[in-house]
Amino acid sequence: MNKIMTPPLPPRSSAEVDFPIERTEAEHVTRREFAKFLCLVSGGMAVGSGWVAVKDKIFPPFTFDGERFVCNVEDVPVGGTHPFRLEGSRIPFILIRLTDGSFRAYEQKCTHLSCAVYYSPDKNKIECPCHHGFFDANDGKVLAGPPPRPLPHLEVALRDGAVFVREPEQKT
Amino acid sequence: MNSSISRNAHPSKTNTLSLGIICVLILVLTMQIWLLTAALNESLDGNNAVKWPAFFASTLLFLAGAALLRYLPDPIRQARKAARHGRDTAGL
Repeated sequence: MNKIMTPPLPPRSSAEVDFPIERTEAEHVTRREFAKFLCLVSGGMAVGSGWVAVKDKIFPPFTFDGERFVCNVEDVPVGGTHPFRLEGSRIPFILIRLTDGSFRAYEQKCTHLSCAVYYSPDKNKIECPCHHGFFDANDGKVLAGPPPRPLPHLEVALRDGAVFVREPEQKT
Repeated sequence: MNSSISRNAHPSKTNTLSLGIICVLILVLTMQIWLLTAALNESLDGNNAVKWPAFFASTLLFLAGAALLRYLPDPIRQARKAARHGRDTAGL
């Protein structure tokens, strides 16, 4: 019995390999391609780590010297807040007058996903409404929820009935 | 040399090798994600001692993963074709 011999397929160009006509062939991902893709993502992670390392050199974080005026003491009632921005910075801050009359100044961005936080005077906590993160209004430390770090703060100074803020002392 | 080894390997061995390399690459990627999140978290907290070691470790892991790709077996059809071509040129 004679065997039917099929003619060999003509060699395909690289364009035909990369963009095949058959849909199933186009959607098929080989293990080689998957491994190469994993390596590409791994390279992306290394670049991302490099970006974290050099970010502060390219875009230095905002700092300022001395004290900056925020508002007068009587502008903020007990248990109230006063939002403000420092000149030259786009970071929103809130000045809080706690129920005991003392002042605190924190960044208004939650350390989880940067939602705007608000002060809740009856609980004496700062709350993030997005994912129910809670911070201690006295020191900005995380009390509950997903935030990974305390709220960045500024030091507050009162002088002649006015509220001033200054950079906190650097960590050693 | 690597390609000749993978060319002559039994299909079941190439199968194991491919899966092994993919598993190692996934492990490498997991460690890199952890390094990146840890370095970012520490950096945002003002602790800059971690970010450079994390970058070097991540780069090292990437290079190791890229080096592993050299040991990926060729597709079987291609390997057979290459082996046949080798026999033809050797006059066998």
